[in-house]
Amino acid sequence: MAQNKTSTGKRPKLAAVVTSIRLYSHPQHIVDRFLDGYGWNGRFHHPKMDLVGLYVDQRGEGDLTQELVDRHPGLKVYPSIAEAVTLGTGKLAVDGVVVVGEHGRYPLNAKGQAMQPHFRFFESIVDVFRSSNRAVPYFNDKQLSSWSWSQSKQMFDTSRQMGFPLQGGSSLAVTWRIPSVEFPTGATPKEALCVAYGGVDSYDFHALETVQCMVERRKGGETGVKWLQAYQGESFWKAYEQGVWSHSLVKAALSRSSTLMPASRIFTDVYPSVKAMRKLVPDPTAYHYQYRDGLRGTILLMNGLVRDFTFAADIEGRSQPFSTQMYLPMPDGRTTLASFFSPLVHNAELMFLTGKAQYPVARTLLTSGLVIAGIDSIFQGLRRVETPQLAVTYQPSPESTFWRS
Amino acid sequence: MLTRRRFLGFSAFSAALLASRPLQRLGFAQTPTGSSEAPLRIAIIGSVYHLGSNLQSIADRFLVGYPFDGDWHMPNVQVVSVYVDSLVPKFGGPIAWGWEQEARREAARRHMHGKSDAHRGTSTQVLEPGPPHPPIAHSVRPRPGARSLGEPLPEHIGLKTDLSRVRSQEFGFRLCGNIPEALRAGTERLAVDAVLTVVEQGDYPTNDRGQILLPCYDFFQQCMRVFQEEGHAVPYFNYGQLSFSFPEAQQMVKTAERLHFPLLAGSSYPVTWRLPAVDIPLGAHVEEAVMVGVGNFDGRDFDALEAMQCMLERRKGGETGVKAVQLLEGDDVWQAGREGRYSRELLSSALSRSDTPMGVTLLNARPQDLVASGVLPQLVKNPAAYCIEYADGTKAALLMLNGAIMDFNISARVAGKGLVSTQFYLPPTPNETNTACLASKIEQTFMTRKTPYPVERTLLTSGMLEACLDSRHRLNQRLETPHLAAVKYQPPREPQYVRT
Repeated sequence: MAQNKTSTGKRPKLAAVVTSIRLYSHPQHIVDRFLDGYGWNGRFHHPKMDLVGLYVDQRGEGDLTQELVDRHPGLKVYPSIAEAVTLGTGKLAVDGVVVVGEHGRYPLNAKGQAMQPHFRFFESIVDVFRSSNRAVPYFNDKQLSSWSWSQSKQMFDTSRQMGFPLQGGSSLAVTWRIPSVEFPTGATPKEALCVAYGGVDSYDFHALETVQCMVERRKGGETGVKWLQAYQGESFWKAYEQGVWSHSLVKAALSRSSTLMPASRIFTDVYPSVKAMRKLVPDPTAYHYQYRDGLRGTILLMNGLVRDFTFAADIEGRSQPFSTQMYLPMPDGRTTLASFFSPLVHNAELMFLTGKAQYPVARTLLTSGLVIAGIDSIFQGLRRVETPQLAVTYQPSPESTFWRS
Repeated sequence: MLTRRRFLGFSAFSAALLASRPLQRLGFAQTPTGSSEAPLRIAIIGSVYHLGSNLQSIADRFLVGYPFDGDWHMPNVQVVSVYVDSLVPKFGGPIAWGWEQEARREAARRHMHGKSDAHRGTSTQVLEPGPPHPPIAHSVRPRPGARSLGEPLPEHIGLKTDLSRVRSQEFGFRLCGNIPEALRAGTERLAVDAVLTVVEQGDYPTNDRGQILLPCYDFFQQCMRVFQEEGHAVPYFNYGQLSFSFPEAQQMVKTAERLHFPLLAGSSYPVTWRLPAVDIPLGAHVEEAVMVGVGNFDGRDFDALEAMQCMLERRKGGETGVKAVQLLEGDDVWQAGREGRYSRELLSSALSRSDTPMGVTLLNARPQDLVASGVLPQLVKNPAAYCIEYADGTKAALLMLNGAIMDFNISARVAGKGLVSTQFYLPPTPNETNTACLASKIEQTFMTRKTPYPVERTLLTSGMLEACLDSRHRLNQRLETPHLAAVKYQPPREPQYVRT
């Protein structure tokens, strides 16, 4: 199948296929950046490509699609995915697709997972690729499939078989880091951990990508995950006190937080005891998992304690943990602009311009599978689940792709 | 005038102190640089100790530790005494505590005897040491943070409640009724190894130029008097500007030089995280810089000017001083942009680093080029531009753009390098970990007796701000500033903002 050619000097044309465009939704943040530009490298940057076709799966109350089209006459809304990517011509007519399967209102399955339409969008688009005998770079925001491992795997395999770059994942992997450090390539970590906030089947994915974008750079590259165990409520605190995950890594991670809730209301920045954490975090969740090469990973969702994502790892040969914060300038009162979408979009632009994925989608395959395994573990009464399907092996991109300029 | 008398007294003091330098060294031999197990004893003196005050944010870090270099760092210090100015009676001020009533009356009596200083305006006073208050009973100093922090507190503790008393009870320091007492910690001698001061807005008056008359200099002088009596000087940190008056600020710097004690000053902005983590390359030829920020003539302009200064001082030749300033307001700010008084390209670049554009971003979450769209004049009703002309020809402007953004960003054009731009990241309340970055520099100064960056930066910035407010007072005239052209210094070789 012919690869996309964008190096002809022409501006690439893009189509966006999204769930719904509402205020503060992922589709809005991502589509706006292609159309309106964003601050990048100390300039206001306008992507050198044109988003011309748009499919919106759900409209109705709060829908901003018309407002978007009114401001951008070059953008046309199509009633189907196929028409959006063919621009109504019956044949693939764009040089790249921007797919956002996040947000919108989709039914829940028996395990309570929202059945986001990533795979349905993917199938519709790939049908056009096939019928047009041409495939183009494909940006897929966040997970591959939010609830189905086989769908995730099929998306991954299809992109490989058809030879088109597929890239996406979480903005956590590409946003600012405070401090601005990269996981040392080829290092041997013994344990890695992310302290985060947000819910199961939501921000757990971001926390998993936070860990994954770092540890994939370890010696030998990624080997996949052998098993995962979730902890919630009292089992969480019991595991905490038993040292299932390292206390020194929690301390290192929390020392990178800038949203540490003071355990006393007469202090503004004070390190909490475990007892204080119990009071602050009524409903904690942990996913603790072991990689096939022995590395242990943990994500802690500690709503009430923090509102940011911090990472720490115990690396062989270092006396102190390696740690940083993956900084999200969140427009929840802290900022007005969700700037962490800028590096996500910027990396997508680079893929559209070069025809090459900037970082491995295998990362996102693994993290999609970890979320599914985590929810399986919760659904099975917090039992350890073996994950033979997550024997996902890959090598990291040699260059760092997080935001640092 | 008292100030002058103090200065005269000071000359005698300095001679005496210089004569006794061996003794001074001997004194400091008790606290060698970081190798001693004994904690460094510090006095903390400031204006207000309530939730969210700068004093609280900074002082607490020496009580409960702070995040530093990927760990929760506990400084090896013991806060032995605290003085909180707002609790001490001033003329006509409210009564804070019953036990201080006598002290208030005494201070009021003294004030009635008339101590005014012409350049301070008419409504101010010079602070004098009040009498010591009875020591607050406390037992052995508890381990910091030992109180179970989750415990509910009495209902009367609110946002503006003084916390120095509960901190004193918890951490076992002496709460003092005057500054000399804080330095002597209840003894007859200087009993601290370092002094940390945080003078900030409290109930201090403002003069006709809009300057808040923060008594940084007064605090400093009172400490100097103790140093003089002791023949012994210790490291001193002064939060923010040195003084609203350049001569006073200059005097503080000269005093520290003469007495050979490290004087560190300034804001947290120069040392906080940057997004991205960049600095002006040392020795680069900087053509022009534009800084954008928010605030009024309220101290945040000082923070922003100092953030700008800490980058520009790295230019070729180091700092050469400032030859003229002009503070523009209203439509004149936009007009100056059209005339090229500051670069609109740099303005756009600095704004591209902001995470807080207002207008449609606030309403609709979408990014916008605030300059190209032409919306700035609609968003910013009362803009101000602090235009700085350096002696070496470099020009810089700080634009205060209330209504357009809510953060602080800079862009500078560097010959051969293009634009260097960044955001000075101010982490959100309540943590405000930018003050943790500052605390680490304070601690470093106290422990090593060396300042990580020159106090001349703060001196020059204090003078720039004063001159800008003068310009405003003189109907926004451009003012030559020969006194600031004399402030020349070299920057530290390594950038001093936090990167690890």
